Amino acid sequence: MGERGFHLEKEIVPVKFALVEKVLDLARANSLWPVTFGLACCAIEMMATAMSRFDLDRFGAGVFRASPRQGDLMIVTGTVTKKMAPVLTTLYEQMPSPKWVIAMGNCAISGGPFVFEGQYNLVEGVDLLVPVDVYVPGCPPRPEALLEGFLKLEEKITGSRRFPRVESVW
Amino acid sequence: MNGIIEAIKTGVPGVEPVEVSYPEKGYHCALQASPDQLIGVVRFFDERRFYLECLICTDYADYLELVYLFNTHLAPCRAKVAVKIDPRQPTAPSISALYASACWYEREIHEFYGVLFTGHPNMAYLFLHDGIDHYPLRKTRVPVPPEDRARLDSFKPCEAEDTFFINLGPQHPSTHGVLRVVLKMDGEYIEQAEPVLGYLHRMHEKMAENRTYQQFLPNTGRMDYLGAMSFNLGYVLAVERLCSIPVPDRAKFVRIIATELNRICSHLLWLGAYLADLGALTPFLFVFDDREAILDVLEGVAGSRLTYCYFRFGGLYNDVDDAFIAGTRAFVKRMWSRFSLYEKLVTGNVIFLNRTRGIGTITREQARKYGVAGPVLRSAGIACDLRKMEPYSAYNEVDFDIPVGEHGDVLDTYRIRVAEMENSLRIIEQALAKLPGGPFMAEKVPKKLKPPRGDVYQVVETPRGELGIYIVSDESDGPSRMKWRVPSFSNLMIFPELAKGVLLADAVAILGSLDLVIPEIDR
Repeated sequence: MGERGFHLEKEIVPVKFALVEKVLDLARANSLWPVTFGLACCAIEMMATAMSRFDLDRFGAGVFRASPRQGDLMIVTGTVTKKMAPVLTTLYEQMPSPKWVIAMGNCAISGGPFVFEGQYNLVEGVDLLVPVDVYVPGCPPRPEALLEGFLKLEEKITGSRRFPRVESVW
Repeated sequence: MNGIIEAIKTGVPGVEPVEVSYPEKGYHCALQASPDQLIGVVRFFDERRFYLECLICTDYADYLELVYLFNTHLAPCRAKVAVKIDPRQPTAPSISALYASACWYEREIHEFYGVLFTGHPNMAYLFLHDGIDHYPLRKTRVPVPPEDRARLDSFKPCEAEDTFFINLGPQHPSTHGVLRVVLKMDGEYIEQAEPVLGYLHRMHEKMAENRTYQQFLPNTGRMDYLGAMSFNLGYVLAVERLCSIPVPDRAKFVRIIATELNRICSHLLWLGAYLADLGALTPFLFVFDDREAILDVLEGVAGSRLTYCYFRFGGLYNDVDDAFIAGTRAFVKRMWSRFSLYEKLVTGNVIFLNRTRGIGTITREQARKYGVAGPVLRSAGIACDLRKMEPYSAYNEVDFDIPVGEHGDVLDTYRIRVAEMENSLRIIEQALAKLPGGPFMAEKVPKKLKPPRGDVYQVVETPRGELGIYIVSDESDGPSRMKWRVPSFSNLMIFPELAKGVLLADAVAILGSLDLVIPEIDR
């Protein structure tokens, strides 16, 4: 986790079934169930990602759950305020393991455009509260960017990528 | 207008109302009152069926000023009542007994400025978190005294027999964001509903005081991300009024085309999300399909999909091209053919009708007392639309109707929003036909704005209703105070009243019909 945020204790697994774990990881990566956690503007782009044109269901991740106990992925879509912080932590703790977090948008990454000297109500980055797996920058990020975030997360879980990587032309 | 000044002089002895130039200031008359006279003045406006538009506090270092804005739904007649109070012992009489809408405004001012309103029923904090130790919007650092600290963490449920509490939110799909409503239940029926705000308080008004006028432009789109164009338009109109910047005709027409496209976009999203609240997921997929068509058109000129910042002081960021005009024409054609589909899918659906008919009924008097705005106000039968009442940009050159409701229930707000989408299409068609040539940006807009000392008020009709922007200038290049009167805030105020005694499932239907956007409420 580096300098920001906190360190998690290394997971201690007494027995590891290598092949079974790999198969399970493949299953998990292809059926991520996000928790409906819309905070601000980015939530609308998250909805757009799940809807007709961008169709998140193609990647098996379109089953948005309204309860944290049924989800394994939290997409933090928007500004986290000091009043919201304890709620967010509680929701994260209520999710069953294994679980992942995507910080969507600049607010969730670092506080974004709302950081200024003398601010009194902002958590400057959700990684100060919960461990984050994938950061998707943008204000708000386009749906394509969130899809790329999902692909990155799948890559992190399984170790291989679904599609060939797209090279930037610039 | 002269009538009201004479009426105030005779009705409330001792105050001196003056007529104000509306194009320069945005209000018609102004008067100064002492805290003792305040109740008398407010009673005068209440008897003449004015509604309380906004309550604003401004810190002028050597005194605090409370500004009460009153207006009528029938004809534009905005009166500004200013009350000076001592910053060391800031107290003022509460007017929440006369105007229910003042209740929340007074609570807001109390937590941001430390003004204590005597006679207020509940001075609990509405927005801020437990750890706050000073009044954020005061110009000098004023610590929160211990008796005020006890008011933090506002709503404390108490135990009673046969009642229990439900937390609706802050993370709940049907609150459309991070609104929290604490419901005191008696079985399936709601006894009392208490909204708790501030889970997305992003300090926009504080930021405005730290920025220049240009630097604040991107914030407008993030305040109401569904009606970003309207908020952007309201802000540039307010600053144009403050600095007397002329706007070319072409820009005026492009502004209303872009704003109306955005309005359709917002209503479509409401339609989908509201029906999803009621359990119908299919329309959600249809509306997003239509919505993407608008986003493509707007993205072509504004550069973003959601948080637009397309308007500039004196014009536009860039001119519209042929692709925009062709795209808009294609969308208008497509959208006209879609209404029959929504009609078949939704309006005739018996489950939808039974869940929305006759619930959340608002009377005209309630609408006035709470200062509700937009489609919710018009559902009560009051034909008040600021595009017609106080026309801005090019709205006086296009023809459109104001749809109003008959019963004031939730079904009426649905019908009004659908009719508004049709009217928006009509506006776009006319504006495209009339679109003049010429420059899209005023000449000689200074890079650094230095407006004269004073205040202005500007209203626009957003998809959710009346947005008011109050700017105080101290001759520097940034505002000294900027207050946003937002429609969702005043619409949410009426929710505790509407939710009393209804079923929990109906409360969700009522809450959805208000079309709340939480960042706009919390600011």
